[in-house]
Amino acid sequence: MADNAVNVTLTIDGVPVTVPKGTLLVEAAKTVKQEIPVYCYHPKLGPAGLCRVCLVDIEGMPKLQIACNTPAADGMVVHTRNDKVDAGRAMILELLLVNHPLDCPICDKGGECDLQDYAMAYGRGSSDLVDPKTRKPKGVDLGPTIVLDEERCVVCQRCVRFDDIIADERQLVLKDRGVRDIIATSTGDPYRHNFTGNVTELCPVGALTSKTYRFKSRPWDLQRTQTTCTQCAVGCQMFSDVRYGVPLRTMSVEHDAISDGWLCDRGRYNIGFYDSAERIVQPLYRRNGTFVQIGWDDAFTLWGKALREALRARGPEAVGAIGGGRLTNEEAYLLQHLTRAVGSANLDWRAGLARQATPGAKGGTLAALDRAQAIVTIGEPLRERAPVLWLRILKAVRRGARLIAAATPAEAAAQCAGLAPIALVWDGVDPALGAAYDGAFAGFAEVATFIASEQGNARGAEAMGMLPAFGPGYAAVAPGRGTRAMLEDARAGRLRVLSILGANPAAYAPNAAAEALDALEFTVVSELFMTETAARATLVLPARGPLEKSGTTLNLTGDLLPLHASLQAPEGTLADLEMLIGLAQQLDVELPSAEDLERAVIAHAAKLPTGFGLGDARFDDGPSVAPPPHVHRTIFDGAGTAAHDPRLTSLRALEVGV
Amino acid sequence: MPVTKVLTDGIGEVDLRDLAVYRARGGYRQWERAVRELQPADVLAAAETSGLRGRGGAGFPTGRKWSFLPTDKHVRYLVCNCDEAEPGTFKDHMLLEEAPHLVLEGILLGAYGIACHHAFIYIRGEFKRGYEIFVRALEEARQAGLVGSNVFGSGFDIEVTAHRGAGAYICGEETGLLNSLEGKRGEPRLKPPFPAIEGLYGAPTVVNNVETLAYLVPILEKGANWFASVGTERSKGYKIVSVSGHVQKPGNYEIALGTTVREIIEIAGGLRPGRRLMAVQPGGGSSACIFEEHLDLPYDYESMAKAGSMLGSGAFVVFDDTTDFVAAAYNMVRFFAHESCGQCTPCREGGHWIETVLARLVRGEGIEGDDAMMLRVAGTITGLNLCALGDSIEPFLKSVLVRFPDAFKARIPSAAPASAVAS
Repeated sequence: MADNAVNVTLTIDGVPVTVPKGTLLVEAAKTVKQEIPVYCYHPKLGPAGLCRVCLVDIEGMPKLQIACNTPAADGMVVHTRNDKVDAGRAMILELLLVNHPLDCPICDKGGECDLQDYAMAYGRGSSDLVDPKTRKPKGVDLGPTIVLDEERCVVCQRCVRFDDIIADERQLVLKDRGVRDIIATSTGDPYRHNFTGNVTELCPVGALTSKTYRFKSRPWDLQRTQTTCTQCAVGCQMFSDVRYGVPLRTMSVEHDAISDGWLCDRGRYNIGFYDSAERIVQPLYRRNGTFVQIGWDDAFTLWGKALREALRARGPEAVGAIGGGRLTNEEAYLLQHLTRAVGSANLDWRAGLARQATPGAKGGTLAALDRAQAIVTIGEPLRERAPVLWLRILKAVRRGARLIAAATPAEAAAQCAGLAPIALVWDGVDPALGAAYDGAFAGFAEVATFIASEQGNARGAEAMGMLPAFGPGYAAVAPGRGTRAMLEDARAGRLRVLSILGANPAAYAPNAAAEALDALEFTVVSELFMTETAARATLVLPARGPLEKSGTTLNLTGDLLPLHASLQAPEGTLADLEMLIGLAQQLDVELPSAEDLERAVIAHAAKLPTGFGLGDARFDDGPSVAPPPHVHRTIFDGAGTAAHDPRLTSLRALEVGV
Repeated sequence: MPVTKVLTDGIGEVDLRDLAVYRARGGYRQWERAVRELQPADVLAAAETSGLRGRGGAGFPTGRKWSFLPTDKHVRYLVCNCDEAEPGTFKDHMLLEEAPHLVLEGILLGAYGIACHHAFIYIRGEFKRGYEIFVRALEEARQAGLVGSNVFGSGFDIEVTAHRGAGAYICGEETGLLNSLEGKRGEPRLKPPFPAIEGLYGAPTVVNNVETLAYLVPILEKGANWFASVGTERSKGYKIVSVSGHVQKPGNYEIALGTTVREIIEIAGGLRPGRRLMAVQPGGGSSACIFEEHLDLPYDYESMAKAGSMLGSGAFVVFDDTTDFVAAAYNMVRFFAHESCGQCTPCREGGHWIETVLARLVRGEGIEGDDAMMLRVAGTITGLNLCALGDSIEPFLKSVLVRFPDAFKARIPSAAPASAVAS
């Protein structure tokens, strides 16, 4: 076959296989469903040739070859199982167990361990070892998230390579040599960055374990549900693993289109709040300055009465609603539906610093980001704001893309001269800055824009019409008042009743917001915890968290993603959807049927309005407050939870930078 | 066949570290001739015609190694491997300390032969004195205009950097060396890609042994055919053999390849009176032993391979009948286990396991089956390792275990001869 052939044809275990030239045997074998065991090889990390367990026999080659670093070649005849392969592989497994502590009964990995599985499948079942095993440190506190058992380590260096290749951190290294070698941080400092939890999943054995999950469960006791992470706008797919009603861990899902199989530590570990004693589990009504517990019936009656009275006395301008970025699309849609049904256009999802979440038709897909030749970041560091998106950008940089964080839009444009396609990633905070970049790149041919907004479902809230100037599907409507204007109206006495569902505006510009909230006649806040905003409410409604409800969200690239409840919510709480249904009964507003709601969400989520730019003027809702230098708080405010999760207090990524 | 003096000519007689002395004896004349009169291709042709093979251990034809370099890449490097650490080898050490200008001239010729402008010499960490001597010689040569830009007005620029290692045997493996030279952990790289395609700092790189490069000087001086006329059919020219062990005059001896094993022992003064030869390890710690029946074999690459061993780096260790082969095997395996970088499974775990068993045997606490277990493990891991280090565990151990099984059985308490137990 000619040298420039695109495909090669070989035989694996007697089955002819045609694969693209350059395909490694370990991958080629998967196409004929032949499992080749691996420890060090990982599709995202590439071959390392360390563990030597992926041995195969290639006809014409005297020695066994490693499938992880041997490209398929035309006419190659490969045997993944024969006596020679089995003998070599059994020896590798015997050697891996020579100094392994065999403490499977107390190992977190037991039941999902590649060493157990391959030892069973390919091992001898016995060993000639009579001498003592080497001893190494166990229970090594590697950093805030990870504990390392050096004795269990098979030195595959997946963790070291993840730190180097994927996370660009280079903290973990292999120290010392020979049988004494150990995994450690190069400096001896604690292992901490935004992606440490991934090494526990990459670790094929029980060497690297999460502090949050250590000694908590056996894999077979976990009930697994696939859902979407709502901690930021990326929308990583993840498994929620729950045991006896307690969320014990989240795991990444192999999902190349969105998360590329990674999770950030915030998404992974921010689950401890669900069973926190501080959760609000009963509606709270402020009477004579203090909260008293009331029932749901009373809560709905009070909420409905307050709205009806305000509408009757002052008209629809006197009521408004804030929320959506932390709600599901269905909830956001119903919130705007209800608000508009009573004649008000005072609604907004924006409770923090971000002003805009949708780039409209100019928005790019994550696949487009992978193809970009230049990636321009605008605003907040993405490593914190959209961590897994940052990993994707690093991947593009490894592939050769230029990463640009310039001082001015013009400078960025100059650095991009001649490059295409280009990706602009904006934090959505400063409209003037966004618009300046939009203008500077107007002349470029292929520009995809991305807005890494601060709340998980910010784009979904916009698509569902939680904006003063746009109805569902970005339909232009007679504009109402946005968050800033509503708070102003509240201070001026024009706004009387405000319903805030899953938002914490008092966390920003605290004094002004507090003043506004205090001036309101009636404030309803749905929340999991007593946030700054909830503390100023007239009525606090205990809400459910993202693992406790089902629905959909829309991520920053406009992918409609499912939330599947994996957790039984505490008694006394309701999902915002149920709250809105209860309120609709009070107000006599007809809500769409479940089927109509689903159809509406799908239709509106799919709409990509043309003519939207970064920092679009139509999103303007008043003079901009200068954002503080670091707005991490806005991210961690995402679920309103971080501050309440004691497991997270030691993570650098969760330090509040306001 | 007598000892020949080619590279060793003048060593021990005059001070070759002195640039003036070296030049008075014709030093750097080949370097001058190369840059002024020859093309790099001429040097490559000389290397190929001479039949010179790598003297570091693998014996790969030098000219062919150079020819693997891609022609379309202009940045390329020559690295001189002076991380000599193979047990029993001490020839590069001597050349570095005694004839630093010869080593440098060899590097310069090699660099010219592959048309590279920056050469490196990676010197074993323990060779502090040799490093200092070499750096002094390099400085002297630089002062004299032999190294630097536009040497001899030829327009050819050459820079040479001396780098001292930190004392790891594995950094003598060429890709481990490159990693170490780049400031990384000294562990071999996964191949392919090979250094000729992607070596130092990602550029095409040739790694040659000190002795290999040094032979370029006499090859250019006396002609490739002169070198090729000596030796056997596929093992051409001369070799410095580091003879040690149970001989009366251990040391470095330069011989023509093809000199018999017996002659080499005689050159080194023969055995001590009344002693009987038990084994010879002819090619360093990684090689299997040969025995009495091999004494008349010519010492060349092919004959040593045919005898089940290898010529390797020319470390020639003689064992007489006072040898404790269990202790010798332990010593050898302990070395490899200690020097294993630990990145690949068979070498890391296999070496250590066998070392542990041998240590127990040395203590006289052997158990039935130790020998079979060692042969099984050492034999199976050979060929499964990422680099050649792990494959070096088996040869010596197996050769003495098979030849002298009783020495090992005697370390099993219950199997010890009754007389030994009684006394």
